[in-house]
Amino acid sequence: MDHAVKQPLLEVNKLSAFFRAGRGEVQVTRDVSFTMAPGEMVGLVGESGCGKTVTGLALMGLLPPASSRLEGKILLQGQDLIAMPPSAKRRLRGRRISMIFQEPMSALDPVFTIGHQISETLRAHQDVSRAEARNRAIEALARVGIPEPTLRYDAYPHQLSGGMRQRAMIAIALVCEPQLLIADEPTTALDVTVQAQIVDVLGELCTRMGMAMLFITHDLGLVSQTCSRLVTMYAGEVVEEGRVDDILLRPRHPYSSGLLRSLPALTQRKARLPAIPGRVPVRGDMPPGCRFQPRCAHAQPPCTAPQPLRAVQPQGEVRCCRAEELILPGVLPVERAA
Amino acid sequence: MTAQQPLVATRDLGVHFRLSRNTVLKAVDRVSFDVLPGETFGIIGESGSGKTTLGRALVCLEAPSAGQVLHQGRDPYALSRRQLRQHRRNYQVVFQDPNAALDPRMTILRSVREPLDVAATMPRAQRDEVAMQAMERVGLSPDFAARYPHELSGGQKQRVCIARVLTLRPSVIVCDEAVAALDVSIQADILNLLADLQREFGLTYIFITHNLGVVGHISDRVAVMYLGRLVEMGETEAVLARPLHPYTDALLSAEPVALPSHMRTSQRVILSGELPSPVSPPSGCRFRTRCRFAQDLCAAKEPEWSEVEPGHWAACHFAGTLPVTSSPVHGVAEVVA
Repeated sequence: MDHAVKQPLLEVNKLSAFFRAGRGEVQVTRDVSFTMAPGEMVGLVGESGCGKTVTGLALMGLLPPASSRLEGKILLQGQDLIAMPPSAKRRLRGRRISMIFQEPMSALDPVFTIGHQISETLRAHQDVSRAEARNRAIEALARVGIPEPTLRYDAYPHQLSGGMRQRAMIAIALVCEPQLLIADEPTTALDVTVQAQIVDVLGELCTRMGMAMLFITHDLGLVSQTCSRLVTMYAGEVVEEGRVDDILLRPRHPYSSGLLRSLPALTQRKARLPAIPGRVPVRGDMPPGCRFQPRCAHAQPPCTAPQPLRAVQPQGEVRCCRAEELILPGVLPVERAA
Repeated sequence: MTAQQPLVATRDLGVHFRLSRNTVLKAVDRVSFDVLPGETFGIIGESGSGKTTLGRALVCLEAPSAGQVLHQGRDPYALSRRQLRQHRRNYQVVFQDPNAALDPRMTILRSVREPLDVAATMPRAQRDEVAMQAMERVGLSPDFAARYPHELSGGQKQRVCIARVLTLRPSVIVCDEAVAALDVSIQADILNLLADLQREFGLTYIFITHNLGVVGHISDRVAVMYLGRLVEMGETEAVLARPLHPYTDALLSAEPVALPSHMRTSQRVILSGELPSPVSPPSGCRFRTRCRFAQDLCAAKEPEWSEVEPGHWAACHFAGTLPVTSSPVHGVAEVVA
């Protein structure tokens, strides 16, 4: 694909996050690797606790340095963010990388107006006058589809609905026109009809501004509508990476397949849902080799050996030694997916 | 349909909350439907549509301000206090957040046994036994009995909540977003469990959710709520495949279906605006402010709740005549069928 030829915008290489716990440390993610091309929309999916949010925060440099530690590399156009001094990182955040969160109310400051919070971001990173910052903030509000942006500039967060708050968050994140937006479950707290609006706005802005987006979510449906590539995480590791359309029809990792098949579909009424047996292993008690192997219907003795993330044909990467021999169902039964 | 006595029915049910001297919030407004024994009745709606208040009213946790809730044709509020206490054992509810539903200081066994303790109809040893049976039935091994909620995962806690309502052998269980807080693989597990229990105990479910996938999967019939009123009701297949109300159509269209891009045939309808305040709903049809088909008539006159096709009800002046374009189910059905 074309992202192989272009210089990647972001290259995450063997990123591991550790949190301090008591006297020791727990490893929260292990060897997370993926790349993003400029302007590319990538979905990062997994169930709660799989490490997707921690990965997002690590990219943004928002994990508390006193209680966490990172290993590996995060390269933004070749520049290593982990090795970078905090002051340089601060200049980068908000300008070249931005992040939006699930709950806009807790991310916005309740005592400042929406407009003030947008201008503040702008003035922190760019040398602009107050008047110009105001104009550009109003422009940003208009761009995310907030009606009457001039009036809303002076609104406080509590005066806005959930959907409007999330739009305001997006306006703050995008006002400096970053190259990369990390969207962590940006629509989970919203109703479906509002979610559709927000996803629409995000997609349109990314395309228009040529911005790349890492869309962190547990909702595979949303990923299929917004992203072209998908990274699946399980128990702190990336287990599969590939094109969304390919993975939906032909997942290569049994966990991706299990996730896709457990979605209740509108059409398959009353049929038994193929749930994944067992539960996610707890940190500190990870099974040997493949971390999914105790719950996997296809597990065999070789699965207890360490599993590298490796390239598979025609494209994509999988952490499963049986990827070539298994034919796994995705959103459709195997025979229909052919 | 005619021979069976509905297990739960509402007749022009209203639940109103007085917010101040002059403002009344009609969380549920003139809602009528029947739920038949053994069926799963889904109620879909967005936040603020009144679906949770409706669910609470169905199990007598909220008294009607207008109209009636009928349990097997009888008004539970006509019963004496003592009779009502006994009667409501038959009508149970499972809530969204199992963390909030379980007392962190009670062992799992005690939480499961608590309804029996309150009912006080059997000796202690027997209560323990019934509670243990219920736990076993939902797939919790006996060694969970002495544990506390914080030692359990979200899915296990939801199983505890289900075991707890089972101890009273209810005939109706209202599930209010019972799987919304769970990850998809665990959600699938709980949905399977609920289906098994329904077969085994002949349960009737009222399934309240905002998730169309879940409702489409589990329900025999569905009702769609918007700002306190029902806008559409019918057999699940009919409602999902041929929605009569533009709101249902928009909901279906907004549902993100996991399908590769070349299989998604439908055009998406993206509603403009958000839910208006339920304190002062729009005149006429409440959906008109966001409806792409709205006309003058819609502001002037409230549409009637009418049976447009046999068993398929809707409240829209133009029900059945509007082009319903969007249902993602069309596309999926062709591929899956």
